Amino acid sequence: MNIPAALKDSAVASLIALALFVPMIGLVLKGQSLNIQLLRALFVVAAVFAGRMLISMLLQSGLLGRLVEVIRKVLVYLSPVVGLVERRSFRFIGLLLVVLVAVPFLPGSSNYLIQILSLTLVYVILATGLNIVVGLAGLLDLGFVAFFATGAYGYAMLAQYAGLSFWAAIPLTAGIAAAMGCLLGLPVLRMHGDYLAIVTLGFGEIIRILLVNMIDITGGPNGISVPRPTLFGLGFTRRLEEGQLGFHEFFGLPYSASHRYIFIYLLILAFTVAAIWIFKRLREMPIGRAWEALREDEIACKALGINHTTTKLSAFTLGATFGGVGGVFFAAMEGFINPSSFTFVESAIILSIVVLGGMGSIVGVILAAMGITLLPELFREFENYRMLVFGLAMVFIMIWRPGGLLKVRRKTFARGGHGG
Amino acid sequence: MNRYFGAVVLAVALLFGAAGCEKKSDVIKIGVAGPITGAYAKFGEQLVKGATLAADIINAAGGINGRKIEVVQGDDQCDPKQARAVANSFVNDKVYAVVGHFCSSSTIPASEVYDEANILQITPASTNPQVTDRGLAAVFRTCGRDDQQGNVAGDFIAKQLKAKRVAIIHDKDTYGQGLADATKARLRTHGIKEVLYEGITRGDKDFNSLVTKMKGLKVDVIYFGGIHTEAGLIVRQAREQGLKATFISGDGIVTSEFASIAGPAADGVLMTFGADPRNLPAAADVVKQFRDSGYEPEAYTLYSYTTMQIIAEALAKNDVTNDGAKLAKYIKATSFSTVMGSKAFDSKGDLKVTDYVVYKWYPSGGGKYDYKEL
Amino acid sequence: MYILGQQLINGLILGSIYGLIAIGYTMVYGIIGMINFAHGEIYMISAYLFAIFLALAGVFGIDSLPVALLFTLAFTIIITGLYGFTVERMAYRPLRGSTRLAPLISAIGMSLVLQNFVQLAQGANDQALPPLYHGVLRLGGEEDFVQITHIQIIIVAATVISMAILTYVINNTALGRACRATQQDRTMANLLGINTDWTISLVFVIGASMASVAGVLITFNFGSFNFFIGFVAGIKAFTAAVLGGIGSLPGAMLGGILLGLSESLFAGFVNTDYKDVFAFALLVTVLTFRPTGLLGRPEVEKI
Repeated sequence: MNIPAALKDSAVASLIALALFVPMIGLVLKGQSLNIQLLRALFVVAAVFAGRMLISMLLQSGLLGRLVEVIRKVLVYLSPVVGLVERRSFRFIGLLLVVLVAVPFLPGSSNYLIQILSLTLVYVILATGLNIVVGLAGLLDLGFVAFFATGAYGYAMLAQYAGLSFWAAIPLTAGIAAAMGCLLGLPVLRMHGDYLAIVTLGFGEIIRILLVNMIDITGGPNGISVPRPTLFGLGFTRRLEEGQLGFHEFFGLPYSASHRYIFIYLLILAFTVAAIWIFKRLREMPIGRAWEALREDEIACKALGINHTTTKLSAFTLGATFGGVGGVFFAAMEGFINPSSFTFVESAIILSIVVLGGMGSIVGVILAAMGITLLPELFREFENYRMLVFGLAMVFIMIWRPGGLLKVRRKTFARGGHGG
Repeated sequence: MNRYFGAVVLAVALLFGAAGCEKKSDVIKIGVAGPITGAYAKFGEQLVKGATLAADIINAAGGINGRKIEVVQGDDQCDPKQARAVANSFVNDKVYAVVGHFCSSSTIPASEVYDEANILQITPASTNPQVTDRGLAAVFRTCGRDDQQGNVAGDFIAKQLKAKRVAIIHDKDTYGQGLADATKARLRTHGIKEVLYEGITRGDKDFNSLVTKMKGLKVDVIYFGGIHTEAGLIVRQAREQGLKATFISGDGIVTSEFASIAGPAADGVLMTFGADPRNLPAAADVVKQFRDSGYEPEAYTLYSYTTMQIIAEALAKNDVTNDGAKLAKYIKATSFSTVMGSKAFDSKGDLKVTDYVVYKWYPSGGGKYDYKEL
Repeated sequence: MYILGQQLINGLILGSIYGLIAIGYTMVYGIIGMINFAHGEIYMISAYLFAIFLALAGVFGIDSLPVALLFTLAFTIIITGLYGFTVERMAYRPLRGSTRLAPLISAIGMSLVLQNFVQLAQGANDQALPPLYHGVLRLGGEEDFVQITHIQIIIVAATVISMAILTYVINNTALGRACRATQQDRTMANLLGINTDWTISLVFVIGASMASVAGVLITFNFGSFNFFIGFVAGIKAFTAAVLGGIGSLPGAMLGGILLGLSESLFAGFVNTDYKDVFAFALLVTVLTFRPTGLLGRPEVEKI
């Protein structure tokens, strides 16, 4: 074992840490003066030294490699996530579905848990939509939140101004979102990569600013309240509307808010399953193949006679439709929406789900959506540190599995060496 | 099949892990919710510090009917979605009452969750009228309302400043815009029509073009609905460009950070705020305790303290019930004596007496600025 | 008339501010072809470092303002560069050669980390610098005048000078050749004896130093900052860089100025509420007709 080399590495690392952390952690600005807390900084530097030392030792002894190998084996054994799921994702999803349906009725369940799960499922729907655009068609979209907002506000406004019910609003809103997707698709057909990214980002921001500014229609920053969905006309709210029969009255149950949580949750679950099924079918249909082909080589596709205009537009349109539907459910679940739920950060989170999960993968997206909504909740105890840990987790997962948790390996396109 | 089993166990464990584990104890949990992280973290800190010190003092004096208060923090980042998650986690944690939230846009959606679970909610800081105007039974606030604040500002601009050309600027937020609209409405009743009504974007730093525009319009009063970060920059850039119009804003700029951002431009800036609780004789002891611990109980700190006091007293007098409706009934019928003086509530949950007054920033020597009642 | 003049100056200054941040952005992009989402946070960190070192200069009893500023500027640039280096080492180097989106996500993660790190270390409150210097140039009468402060002049000058220097470095020095070779073909550059890892690290350090120049000057100008400023600055700079053609240094400056002017004039003569809508609409329009930005190289379609 080469201890001097390890010591040298650690010394360099802690020297850098010293320069980075002494000013930022050790000297705290207090007005125009400084509150000197050098001990705090030195503690962090010491931690860096120890950490680097440990990694060096592990690396040299080959322990780290073995450790990684053991972890990998454990993972392979413990979860079907790594190998099996890819091939038999339907069975895994089926099993997960049984668990998810059962969750609200298990002891220990609560409105809090159901709400978090509902939010997770909304993210699954959104990420599935974005997966079409980014994962399959390879178009980097940083403004997906625009369609999410269209769906949520579409429902809220259709209910408010046209008196439409939740059920009537779903297809209409999906149509509006699809039209928006097509509208955005038109000007960006010629753009590639990062130019596309910034234009979609701009589009998302434009939608949000319009929502904020058009106070008379959207309620501006005050937001807009959204009616709760009903089940065959049965209401789920404590104070029912005129002439409306409550779910609890109809079944002779005492009123409980959890009825509504469970109802919306199961509703979203059903639509999530539908969304995933549609995605799976699309991927296997000619249009899905065309998207993937276009992603891999646009020129070759053109040469082979694939109409790249309709192919790209259809990806945007379908993705937007999913986004719109996700928005309707989000609005129904929250009961109140305002523009601050539709910022760029939201686009970034949805994109992270797709990339962390593995582009084009179904199970990966489900797992990533769970991770991204549940992790910050799990860390609620740590309060101040939770977003820091969340960011670190994003970095490490990407380093650990750059292709996402589940990298899709398509047998049909297995060519080796070259990949998107 | 057993391979799947592992995954399912993992998934279930993850799901229920999120729900947290139940602890049985006889502490009284009280939630404090606000933006603990994010751009408004400064205000979240005020809420937490105020409520925590109140709880500590009550606990040191024996707690509520012998039971100790445990403060549970909830971070909503002023995001409505997070606010609902926090509210649901509080309900799940079986809190007895909630101090919070801070942003009106968080308080409103969260209040629906509390309402359904019948939990008492008292916000020390959300001034939007909608908070209490929606007829929820157990929602209170220990601060004033934007319409009251706007009235005071509108009257002052019309009568004291005798303004002719008023520009109204807001930050497109529930709070800021609500305040600007209330002031605008009041000015209209005095027959003053604003020459400019525009919204800026939070987080922007450069307001020079807005300032130049106001200069071109020759405004003599600028009313700003928003918080100190943007207010400080606007007034600083206005003075840099030689615009001498009087600058007046609301309680969102009641923090020393406003003066440090604005620099010398803070001199002469006006704002409406409740009579400074730090100067009340009833608050002297508590203010000293805060200062001894190295924390200046600015802005909403004492409001939060007061809120905790009211909750504690209501709980003590009602056998520590978690029935929000019952507590609400008691609170509406009672006058509380707090560090901010005597507080009583009307049937909506607003304070019966609000004491908005106009303050003025002035140089207090040594390059620092402080504010005093006009 | 003086109103229009003032608005043009406002736009020019705002544009230079965007351009100054965008230069660092575009620099990194030009070499490794990747959006550095953490660039805005590096800029934010430099604002903090600037204030910290300025306060430290006071502690050491450096009273003369120019000396204190020189001392502060030097340290800020060095430490910010080190932050850039570390970010690259942690979040980008392990992802060398993976998909294009992986570094994008790790960069988003990194910017969350930096933001929350600063919040934890320095507190969430707004920080402010006292106005240190008041020089101003005024043209016109007592009431109606056009003005520009000396600091604003320095910002415009700094943007032009740094653009020129970096363009020279990229086009005419050994380092620049190494950068361009790395951009063209990393494997080949390696074979020809260029240490591409070091080249990329160096580019990140230069990018971070540019961010710190921007951070220092902009903080000096506006006088306030918090841990959240990197986000807005990052998005605006990104927009400016793309507008001008990402990867092109003069393009970053041009894009910044165009963006600043359009925002200022729209806010000044139409409406402040919709200025960002106008800016983004302008971006979409420009890119529709020039899909690779104003000065970007058109993508060669290989057949």
